[in-house]
Amino acid sequence: MIGGKTIRVWIPAALCALWVVVAATGSWLPLAPNEIHLDRILLPPSSQGLLGYDDLGRAILDRLALGAQTSFLVAAWVVTLSLLIGTTIGAVSGYVGGWVDHVVVRIIDVLLAFPGILLAIALAGVLGPGIDNVVIALSAVGWVGFARLARAQVLAQRQREHVLAAYALGAPARRILFVHVVPMILAPLIVEGTFAVAGVVIAEAGLSYLGLGVQPPEASWGSMIRDGARYMLVAPHMVLAPGVALMLVVLAVNLLGDQLRDYLDVRTRGEMQSAGA
Amino acid sequence: MWLIVALCAALVAGCQPRDDGTWRFGLASAPLNLDPRFATDASSVRVNALIYERLVEFDAQSMPIPSLGAWDALTPTHYRVTLRTPRDVFHNGEPLTSRDVEATYRFVLDPVNSSPHRGALTIIDKIVAPNDEQVDFFLTAPDPIFPARLTLGIVPARLIASGHRFQNSPLGSGPFKFAERPDENRLRVIRSADNQPVEFITVKDPTVRVLKLLRGEIGMTQNDLQPELVRYLEDQGGIDVIRAPGTNFSYLGFNMQDPVLSRRGVREAIARGIDRNAIIQHMWGGAARRAGALLPPEHWAGTADVPNYDYDPEGARRLLKQAGYGADKPLKLTYKTSSDAFRVRLATIIQDQLKRIGIDIEIQSYDWATFYGDIKAGRFQLFSLSWVGVKSPDIFRYVFHSQSFPPEGANRGRFSDSHADYLIEAAEQGLSLEEQAHYYRLLQFYLSYQLPYVPLWFEDHVYAGRDGFRGYAIAPDGNFSALRDVLWVGKTHAD
Repeated sequence: MIGGKTIRVWIPAALCALWVVVAATGSWLPLAPNEIHLDRILLPPSSQGLLGYDDLGRAILDRLALGAQTSFLVAAWVVTLSLLIGTTIGAVSGYVGGWVDHVVVRIIDVLLAFPGILLAIALAGVLGPGIDNVVIALSAVGWVGFARLARAQVLAQRQREHVLAAYALGAPARRILFVHVVPMILAPLIVEGTFAVAGVVIAEAGLSYLGLGVQPPEASWGSMIRDGARYMLVAPHMVLAPGVALMLVVLAVNLLGDQLRDYLDVRTRGEMQSAGA
Repeated sequence: MWLIVALCAALVAGCQPRDDGTWRFGLASAPLNLDPRFATDASSVRVNALIYERLVEFDAQSMPIPSLGAWDALTPTHYRVTLRTPRDVFHNGEPLTSRDVEATYRFVLDPVNSSPHRGALTIIDKIVAPNDEQVDFFLTAPDPIFPARLTLGIVPARLIASGHRFQNSPLGSGPFKFAERPDENRLRVIRSADNQPVEFITVKDPTVRVLKLLRGEIGMTQNDLQPELVRYLEDQGGIDVIRAPGTNFSYLGFNMQDPVLSRRGVREAIARGIDRNAIIQHMWGGAARRAGALLPPEHWAGTADVPNYDYDPEGARRLLKQAGYGADKPLKLTYKTSSDAFRVRLATIIQDQLKRIGIDIEIQSYDWATFYGDIKAGRFQLFSLSWVGVKSPDIFRYVFHSQSFPPEGANRGRFSDSHADYLIEAAEQGLSLEEQAHYYRLLQFYLSYQLPYVPLWFEDHVYAGRDGFRGYAIAPDGNFSALRDVLWVGKTHAD
C-alpha cells in the first residue's frame, strides 16, 4: 500500500528528478526530436515509437525530452532572475523605507493589479517570438511576487534584536541588509520559488501554445499541445503525451513546494516529525 | 438543485442539432463583402456567385462559356453580348436588362469608385446598351480572351443609382436570394427554385467543423480540412466525402534580387532537393497532384509537358558544389511563412529535406499581415504561398512581368527577364486563342527553366456532407454552384 508520504514526497521528488535529469542530459541522449519521417506521420504509440509520432513523423518521446529541456531552462532562468531582482528590490525597499518604499509599493500594486500572463503575452508579442524573449517577458512580471514577499519579511526582520545590534555597532546598511536580514528571509522566498517554478512552466507552455515561444523545429510542451490539439480527433496521443507530462511536473513541483513550506514552518514541522516517527 | 438540473437540460437541448429544415454549410472564413463589385476574397466570391448571376461561367478547361449572356466578336475590338431568354429577373421582381449590365460595368470602371476589379477591365474603352437585350463592349485593343473578363455579378441599375448598399442587403438574380445575416459568422440565403433555406456558418477551426458535421450541426462543408481529417471523415458512417482535382497552385518563391538566389544553379538545387512526391503521398495523403507550372495541364493555355525537376539529392548537392557551397561552407537561407499551422508544417518539411542536401533553412513565421507585407516589400529569401482560383493566363503578366513589381503587380520575387516579358507581350497580342496559348506554353517552358518559382502542387477540392445529401458535384474552381442542384433524401430534414 502506498503511504501518504510516498504520494506527497517521494513520487513528486522522483518526477521532479526525472524532469531535471532529462533536461540536464537531453543533449547527450541519443534522441532525434527533429528528425522527420514522412512515412510515420501520426502513427500511434507502438514498440517502435513508445509515445507515437507527430504530424511530421517525429518521435513524440524524443520531442517530449526536448520540451522538458525547454521548460526546465525557462523555469530555471525566470525563477532565478525573478528571485534575484525581486528580492533585491523588495529588500532594499523594505529596509530603506520612505519615498523609495512608496514608489516600489505603488509599482508592485500596479503590476499585481494587471494579469501577469496578459502582460507577459503583450511583452512577448512586442519582443517577438523566441525563447529568450519568453524568459525576459516572464521575468518582467515574475519579480513582483518575490519583491512583495521580500519587502514584508524585511519589514518584520529590521526590528529584530540582531539587526538592531548590528545597527548599534555601526555596521553599514549594505552589510546589515545582505548579511543579517536577507539570510533570515530566504526560507519563505525559496518556498515562493518552488511555486513560481510551476507557474513559469505553465506560463511558458501558454506562450508557446500561442506561438510566442520556441520556433520550429524546436519543441516545447506548450507548442506540442498546440500542434496536437489540431489532431485530437485522429491522433489524440499527440496532445495527451505533452499534456500529461506538463500536468505531472506542475503537480509534482507544487506538492514538493507544499512539503517544503510545511517543513520550514516551525508550527507544522513538529507535527510532521511526530507523524513520521 | 432543480435550477442546476434545468440548466443542464437547457444546455443539452442547446447542443442538439436544429431540425428546422435549413441546410447548414460550414465555411472556414466568413464572406467579407457581399457586393460583387468589391468582393475579392475567395469566400465572398463563391457565395456571391450564388446570389448574383454573371455574364460568363467557365468550363473544366477554364474557357468562358455563356451564362447570363452569349457573346459575338463583331470585330477584334468590339464584342456584343446578348442576354439569354427567357429573361432573368432580380430577386425583387425587376427584369434584368442590358441597362443593368452596362451600369454594373460602368460603376466598376469609374475610378472614383475604387473597385478592385477595375484593373482587369481597363481594356474596355466604351460600353453601350443599344437595347434591353444587348450590350456592346468596345475595347482599346484586340483581346481574344476578353469574354473571360466578364465575371462581375450583375446588380440592378436602379439600385446603383440610388446608392444601395449591397454589402448589407445583397440583391441579384442568382439561384439563391439573400435572407438575412444575423452576425458576421452566419449568412442565410434561400434557393429560389424551391424556397430551400441554406445557412452559411463560419467555423474557422477544422476540427470543430468536422465535429459539427458529425453531430449534424452543419450538413456540408468544402475544403480547408487537413488531409488527416478528410481520411477520418471517410471512415465515419453517415458522411459522404467527394474529392476532385483542384487548381489552387502552391509554390515556393525566390527573391531573384538576392545575391545567392539570383544564381539559377542554386534555385535548381533547391528544386531538386524537395521531394514533392513524398510530401504529396504522406502529408497530403495523395489529395494533391504535382504541379509543373502555374496553370494546370487541363487549362486551355496549360501544358503537361513542362520539364519537371524530380527529387535528386545527389544532383542538388552537385549543383550546390558548383555554386561554391558544401559541407565546409553550408548555404544558409531564411524561409518566411505565415503562422498558419499547415504552412509552418510544410516549411518544416522543406527545411528538413533541404538540410539533407546541405542547405540550412531558418524558418521565420509571422502573422499574416506582417508576412504578406514583407513579401510584397521583397523582404525575404524564400517564401511559400498559393494562387487560388486562377482562370485567365493574364496571371503571367501580373506575376512574372518585369513591370509588375508590387504594388503594380504581384511579381514579388522581382523576376526581371526580357525574354519572359517578350513572351508575355507576344501572347497578349495574339489574335486568336490558339496563338495566345502557344506563347503562354512557351513562356511556361521558359519559366520552368528559369525557376523564379518552384511549382509544388495543385490541391484537390474536398467536399464532406451528411449522407442524405445527393447531387453535390464539386466545380473545377471550387465554387459552391453545386448547391443549386443538391437534394436531401435522408430520413429527416437534416441540418
